[in-house]
Amino acid sequence: MDSKIVLNVAKEDGRSRLKESYHNAPYKLTHYGAANLTDHLEMIIMSASPGIMDTDHLHIDIHVKEEAQLKLFTQSFNKLHPMKTGAGQHTDVQVASGGILHYIPHPVTPFKDSIFKATNHIHLAEDAVLMWGDIISVGRIYMKEAFEFDRLHTQTKIFRSGKLAFIDNQLLQPKKQPIQKMLFFEGYTHQATFIFSALFAQELKNELDEILTVEYNDISYGFTQASSDVVILRALGSDGELLYDFLQMLGQLCWDFTMHKLSESKEVEVIENEGAEPLPVVAEAVVAESVLTESVVAKKKSTASPRKKRVNKSKTEEGLKYA
Amino acid sequence: MNPLLTLMQINDSVFPIGGFTHSYGLETYITKGLVQDSKTAKEYAQTLLEHSFYYNDAAFFHKTWQLCETKATKKKVAELDALITAFKAPYEIRDASKKLGIRFLKLTEKLQPVKRCSAYLKAINTQELHGHYAMAFAMFAHAQGISYSDALSAFYYNSLNGIMTNCAKLVPISQMDAQQILFKLQPLINKLVIAQPALEEDLIGNCCIAQDIRCMQHEKLYTRIYIS
Repeated sequence: MDSKIVLNVAKEDGRSRLKESYHNAPYKLTHYGAANLTDHLEMIIMSASPGIMDTDHLHIDIHVKEEAQLKLFTQSFNKLHPMKTGAGQHTDVQVASGGILHYIPHPVTPFKDSIFKATNHIHLAEDAVLMWGDIISVGRIYMKEAFEFDRLHTQTKIFRSGKLAFIDNQLLQPKKQPIQKMLFFEGYTHQATFIFSALFAQELKNELDEILTVEYNDISYGFTQASSDVVILRALGSDGELLYDFLQMLGQLCWDFTMHKLSESKEVEVIENEGAEPLPVVAEAVVAESVLTESVVAKKKSTASPRKKRVNKSKTEEGLKYA
Repeated sequence: MNPLLTLMQINDSVFPIGGFTHSYGLETYITKGLVQDSKTAKEYAQTLLEHSFYYNDAAFFHKTWQLCETKATKKKVAELDALITAFKAPYEIRDASKKLGIRFLKLTEKLQPVKRCSAYLKAINTQELHGHYAMAFAMFAHAQGISYSDALSAFYYNSLNGIMTNCAKLVPISQMDAQQILFKLQPLINKLVIAQPALEEDLIGNCCIAQDIRCMQHEKLYTRIYIS
């Protein structure tokens, strides 16, 4: 069965709002909670089907327009049923200038004999921000179906300003790979990949260097600067829910960090605008007040200027890095 | 020049391009006790060649060789360089590929300049391109009249030799065991070289997740002897 989900988000009156959207059976796209609860848009993809069946194909089209912010959720684990031919899913993502997308779906659970290929093509504008997750379980472990699937291939390509920034290519074929051993699952039953992409990815990496300093018993993870604008974290674990929560926590951390960066850049804009304003022409009667205002502005400018300089400097450094 | 002798020289483990300073994640495996004896060392080496190297550096070698067989235009070289950069997620692995590539190109330029290699080195130095060892090795080997299967076999062997040398130093395993593993895995290298052209385009850059994680964890290892 061929299905399609289309989702457009645009910023209107300071809020991200759902625009033209479309879904057909068995999928449903709806607001995640109250529509006006947050300034960003929160949507959830739901499904009336027990999972993905043989020959099913889903096409997801997400378009986050300028300055819009979207958090997209899923309802439950994505269950891949036994197949003979195979099923597929293709996701096209466009995030325009200033836009933010946060999408960490529930884990994929491939049942015995399932065959699945998922491709994700993500196009980011120069200053767009992406938080993306992908979790794969090795099957219904308690049904004794671990590593019984046939083939699972996931391919994610990220482009920024039209240039290829990062590719994640993973083929899992238990019958042809020593999948439980070294280099693959190494005794674990779930794997996760989290991608954060932004022009300030290096700054986030510095934060993670401070935060993620301990080793956990249940999860083995590593993170790295995958390119100047991509930070990637990969993890192995034995509990899908735990990895999902771990990635959601990382996603929220990145979201908060992005909001902090946005407010910081807005502050700079305000200071720059204040600096550009000409001094008002005042009557003699209010000269004293004007002098006072001037001194306040001057004081404000002087306290703000080191920060302004610092931000400008980092902008210049960024400019050099990405040139 | 004699292609065989040139191949032996550029593929020598003491060819001074810094290959011996990298473990490509193996140091993490050894530190965590996952590679701990000759048996696990062989298992690691075999899986790495068959399920990681075949899809990555060997595939990048193959693609570069294909480019050299036709007209390796600047645009095509740039596209392949960018593609390889996008596939190599762990920072240390990406950086190792760049460093070895630059040193290999600088050194071979002194031995016998090859126009294609010089152009590649220039583009790396001007930061137009990232730079990758697999591309540099294939370009120079191709220009020296070395056969595809010899050059690719040597490329696989070099990687395996690096693993075994590192295992002999770090695990440690005996030099005798290391040499036996090198010899015993010859049929695997032959099989992979023959199968290389048949690798589907879609599977190039295929990642083994734990290998990637161990490479990333290497950045944070408390004691590190190797750069990657």
